[in-house]
Amino acid sequence: MRDLERRYRHLLRAYPAGYRQARGAEIVGTYLDLAAPERRWPSILDVADVLAGGVRERLRAAGAADLIPGVRLAAVLSYTTATALAGFWATAEVVTTSRGWGAPAFGPFATTGIVVWAGWLLAAVVHVLAPARCRRIAIGLALVLTATVVPVAAVLDLPRPFLFVLLPQATLGLLALAVPSHTPQRHRFIPLAATPATSLVAVGVLSGESTWFYRFSYGGAFLPETGAVLLVTAMLAAAVLSLRGDARGIWALLVLLTPVGLLGLYPLTENIAPVVGASYADFRVITATAAAVFMLGAIPLAAAIAIRARASATATPAAAPSHARCPTCGK
Amino acid sequence: MDTPLREPTFWILTALAGRPLHGYGIISEVASLSEGRLSMRPGTLYGALDRLMDAGFIEVDGEEVVDGRLRRYYRLSRSGSATLAAETERLRHNVEVATTRLGTLTPATRPITPRAVGGLA
Repeated sequence: MRDLERRYRHLLRAYPAGYRQARGAEIVGTYLDLAAPERRWPSILDVADVLAGGVRERLRAAGAADLIPGVRLAAVLSYTTATALAGFWATAEVVTTSRGWGAPAFGPFATTGIVVWAGWLLAAVVHVLAPARCRRIAIGLALVLTATVVPVAAVLDLPRPFLFVLLPQATLGLLALAVPSHTPQRHRFIPLAATPATSLVAVGVLSGESTWFYRFSYGGAFLPETGAVLLVTAMLAAAVLSLRGDARGIWALLVLLTPVGLLGLYPLTENIAPVVGASYADFRVITATAAAVFMLGAIPLAAAIAIRARASATATPAAAPSHARCPTCGK
Repeated sequence: MDTPLREPTFWILTALAGRPLHGYGIISEVASLSEGRLSMRPGTLYGALDRLMDAGFIEVDGEEVVDGRLRRYYRLSRSGSATLAAETERLRHNVEVATTRLGTLTPATRPITPRAVGGLA
């Protein structure tokens, strides 16, 4: 067996065992047909394709295939929120002032966060104008900027946005990677359309304020308020779609619980810090609280999938997923 | 399965309307028919094939082993042919309506056709 074939077979463990047994050889054969003769390792795109296919098939087997359209809906709401926040923070970086005791500055801007927010706003423009492939690359670059600003600012001793700002932004951005590829341009304009409103809010409430705005002034309250708006929007979408017998909204709501929780990281950590004996919400308090939010956010989603799987298993045999059937005769 | 068909589903059914094809054949045919606009990967393809089999639009035609690789061929079922024909008719109707409307545009609202640079006149 060639190295490449062995590696594809190894990757195929992402699929359920029964499905792998029935169709594994056929799928691996197709990957090998598509691969260049000299290739020895699966490409990154193939790895992502196998893993995504495996997740899809596992969800299908659990009777939760509609989770994927739900994630896409959550991605649209998530991307709109991330872009709206970028518009707010980018404006705040410009309109606040560093005059005052100990206020940080990064050239004419408040912090290095301006690079991060510019990355997200650029991604929103690319989302409207460029083909699908470039859109995901732009979101990926904005995510890289969001992640790298922490070590870069530490090494160069520059001011940066706080973790309770960057962590929800990165989580919303990660979810935004699942935004649907084939959508009309007018729909793709929605995330960018949200930025003028949030920029105006920033101008109205933060002009002339200290560049400590991320923690103090209205800036500290903006994230939990955004989280509340996102939660209410997701709940409304879930209610409206449920009335039509469409479970997408409920899945989207469950997926969005984690980003909504992270948007409340600032008040959460401020309250948790004294309880755990910390004098303020430092790096450890924020990362530990974020980890707890991730775990708590995953519980309702995992429970919903488990309930669906149980319901699917006890359903009539006619509703068995296709991998349980003979792939040759379809029976 | 919902109608109108999603674009990948439409092209897979169209590819199979010609003759039975295996996975690699479907990917190549879809890329060719859509003039390179739609590039499918196996993970996406087999997910779509599963759904089409569940809906009864396609069937397994047979299988063979070539160079040690299993190739399973798929063909369009009667129900799949009917669905593809209905979708094609729907799209044809849309095109005819749009073409008629565009033909009634007044010169002021008609889009200007760009003239080649350096052309005569």
